[in-house]
Amino acid sequence: MKGHFSTGRRRQRVVRLTPALLFVLVLMILAPTPSHAYAGPGAGFAVLSSFWTLFVAFLYSVYAFLTWPFRHLLRLLRRRKSYAKAQIKRAVILGFDGMDPELAERFIQQGKLPNLAKLREQGSFRKLRTTFPPISPVAWSTFMTGVNPGKHNIYDFLARDTNNYLPFLSSAEIKGPKRSLKIGKYTVPLGKPTIRGMRRGTPFWHWLGRAGIFSSIIRVPVTFPPEKFPGVLLSGMCVPDLKGSQGTFCLCTTRGSGDKFREGGVRVPIERNGTGLRSYIPGPEDPLGGGAGKELRADFQINPDPRSNQARISIDSQSLNLKVGEYSEWIPVKFKAGLGFSARGICRFYLKELSPEVEVYVTPVNIDPGHPDLPISHPVTYSIYLSKLFGPYATLGLAEDTWALNEEVLDDQAFLAQCYANHEDRERMLFDALDKTRQGLCACVFDTTDRVQHMFWRYLEEDHPAARNVPREQRPNVIEDLYRRMDSLIGRVMSQIDEHTLLLVVSDHGFKSFARCVNLNAWLHQNGYLALKEGKSESGDWFEDVDWSRTRAYTMGLNGLYLNLKGREREGIVPPGAEAEALKNELREKLNGLADPDSGRIGVTGVFDCDAVYAGPYVDNAPDLIVGYGDGFRASWDSVMGKVTGQVFEDNLKAWSGDHCIDPRLVPGVLFSNRKINDEKPAIVDVAPTILKLFGLQLPSHFDGKPWTVGASVAG
Amino acid sequence: MRSSTILWPAVAGFFSINLPAALVLLLSVVIGLLMVVIFRYTSNQKAIHVAKEQLKAHLLAVRLFQDQLPVVLSSYGRILRGTGRYLRLALMPLLIVALPLTFLILQLDRYFGWTPLAAGQPFLVKVKANTADALDGISLQLPAGMTSTAPAIHIPSENEVVWRLVAGKDGAYELNVAGGSDAVSKSVLVSTALERVSPERLHAPYWERVFVSGEPTLPGGAVQSIAVAYPPRTISFLGWEWNWIWLFFVLSLAAGFLFKSILGIEI
Repeated sequence: MKGHFSTGRRRQRVVRLTPALLFVLVLMILAPTPSHAYAGPGAGFAVLSSFWTLFVAFLYSVYAFLTWPFRHLLRLLRRRKSYAKAQIKRAVILGFDGMDPELAERFIQQGKLPNLAKLREQGSFRKLRTTFPPISPVAWSTFMTGVNPGKHNIYDFLARDTNNYLPFLSSAEIKGPKRSLKIGKYTVPLGKPTIRGMRRGTPFWHWLGRAGIFSSIIRVPVTFPPEKFPGVLLSGMCVPDLKGSQGTFCLCTTRGSGDKFREGGVRVPIERNGTGLRSYIPGPEDPLGGGAGKELRADFQINPDPRSNQARISIDSQSLNLKVGEYSEWIPVKFKAGLGFSARGICRFYLKELSPEVEVYVTPVNIDPGHPDLPISHPVTYSIYLSKLFGPYATLGLAEDTWALNEEVLDDQAFLAQCYANHEDRERMLFDALDKTRQGLCACVFDTTDRVQHMFWRYLEEDHPAARNVPREQRPNVIEDLYRRMDSLIGRVMSQIDEHTLLLVVSDHGFKSFARCVNLNAWLHQNGYLALKEGKSESGDWFEDVDWSRTRAYTMGLNGLYLNLKGREREGIVPPGAEAEALKNELREKLNGLADPDSGRIGVTGVFDCDAVYAGPYVDNAPDLIVGYGDGFRASWDSVMGKVTGQVFEDNLKAWSGDHCIDPRLVPGVLFSNRKINDEKPAIVDVAPTILKLFGLQLPSHFDGKPWTVGASVAG
Repeated sequence: MRSSTILWPAVAGFFSINLPAALVLLLSVVIGLLMVVIFRYTSNQKAIHVAKEQLKAHLLAVRLFQDQLPVVLSSYGRILRGTGRYLRLALMPLLIVALPLTFLILQLDRYFGWTPLAAGQPFLVKVKANTADALDGISLQLPAGMTSTAPAIHIPSENEVVWRLVAGKDGAYELNVAGGSDAVSKSVLVSTALERVSPERLHAPYWERVFVSGEPTLPGGAVQSIAVAYPPRTISFLGWEWNWIWLFFVLSLAAGFLFKSILGIEI
């Protein structure tokens, strides 16, 4: 449900006046005097506006008409080269992040997924081998480049800075302008921020583009910053919010105190202001603050009306009425700095509570797709086009606010409402892209499958620690509903494609339970590989109080384990070469088969040497070892953030109860196709070469993937 | 002394332009503002916003997918449909705005559309009869201070008789016209000030008279209409001579666009 803006409602009166008005209009038209022009400037507005639109369309037409022969000739020449050997006219790839083959199989068997069943019967269904590690940015980077991580340089969401052991985002680096001008108290930046993509390798749609084959790419992860190519692209996972984070929600509350959120959100006080209440949305750093870290704010007013269980929220010149438990539409927000500088984004409000306390949840402030402060699409006008066509939409890479549910700021229903609102936007974009891409490639990734499974896996298991208090009859069928929705989407896509179109449904990995946390840093500490400063038994986040001069190994992120290597890490002590190899082998031996003392279940089922699983120019940036956790286990929340705690194994009590950052052999993805695929063990790295081959293109020699043998029969 | 005559030097001094131009400018700004405000409350702002945004999206589609002819053609189709939808949404509020505005402009046209006659300046008076035979029975009775400068001319093909007159000094005169058994009158204004002028008095229904006449209808005997040939007024503004309607149209349009941006109104 959505809130609404207050608008004038005079329609009924207008309807009553219609006959009289029409009479006047007819009279004015028929009156034999120059006064019929007296409709005045009102008509002028309408005429001018529509004339302007048609005039611009006309100019485009002239331009298109004049240049068409040349472009057509060029296209024909290119197509003659590429389409001459093409086996398909169009490829449609639906990426369902995290769709699990075992769950899909189970629901198909139960007759709940008729369209996937049809694909399986008439086309193909395979498990799709994923990457080491099976993490979305890694796997989708491999999907698009056709190479292993050693060639595309993405090993996790985070990478570590060897100078200070601190993390940074592995996919993109955003830096402010180099030069600035000091004017009084302001430091005016000269120039625009620079955004550097860290993913290497060339997405396969670039190869298609060079051959004159058009592509529409929507929300494929690790496509930020967007790269230039002959097609359109909307960036996905890794697009930051306006603060530059991967999503920082805000809970505005009258409650005096509360724990600091572990991550992903901030608590902001609501203060009384006359008869109403006042709060603010924290924004990006003041660009005129000269890097002093001063935060911009967007103030807003709340006027609660407990009798109707709703509140009026006013921000800038807008106001909206929200009932408790209701989301607003996307609201434009402006963060004003001095000297006319401002940053603008969009967010949604959710009224959590009105009595006894007032609480308003605000989504992370997304980059406004209609006025993007950072480029989030190629060309830049593509995000604007989508915004104008469908209205504002979520642009944040991780748009579904899992942290807010984890921190119990949102409940299950509110989180799902947010997920499916985003999902519906994505569906609209997909169908528009299908309409616009009648030849070429159309690829769209849906994150809903990943987020919903992460957060609701607890209801699938009898004894998941995060749902032990929820009786079986009260557990919603969220994941089954999710798979049904995706199946319905596939059905609608199938109805729009012809026999010349290849349809692939792929996921980057599957899913398993995340019931037990493994703090590998604690294990390293207990086993003498990681040392804390004198007198400390635990560390803070990001290795605070770690004694690097006595530390040989550490872990951060989801699956990576690093040696504290001399000459690489700033305070490294392990000499490279034989000693480092010996340490790696020792760690592998000890960790492999590490059992949970509570249940005896194996917590670590494989530890993989990066030299064995990666090859390429960026292997040096990889973790030294990749830790593959067993079914039901994952790196603990503390361990991911470089924190050493007392216990190695502990229950995962968070709503984030399913995961895939484990042993990649346990979480393959899915591959459904409307054509027969004869390969028995396809991998995600094979998608790029397969598509290029089907379009009749020569495969680049650096590809690691191998094209599948795809049959001609089509499931329709 | 008339109020407009008293005010004129001050207003003209302030604006450094002539009084009619200053008044048209003022009226245009006020009416432009009123119009967008009325439009705001009589239109479906959200629907208009969506319609305009979608139009822009289809324009962008032409550019984004320019190499795909079917997509470009379907975008043109959508642009035309979108324009129709936008005009449909704008029609009702425009009609609501147009109703009072039309009457207001008609009243203003009495002041700005014509210049009163000047003393000593010859002018024509044209009387239209119901038949050519009735022309011989029509006579004109001049008020004091007004003289005829030429004999009446009968134009039977047009059922008209025309006099050329001149007034000696400023004032509001009444011309009396006798036709058969009827006697009717018509006002004539001789002045240098900005005043209300009615160029014609005629026998016609209200909706026909309202556009050209500021006087009551004629009874409908032999005399069908009496017209005084007032010279049309032009207004000097920015070095051009304007018909006041066009000046008003341009200025109120500009004011409307300005206020719509300031007030955030979708038009």
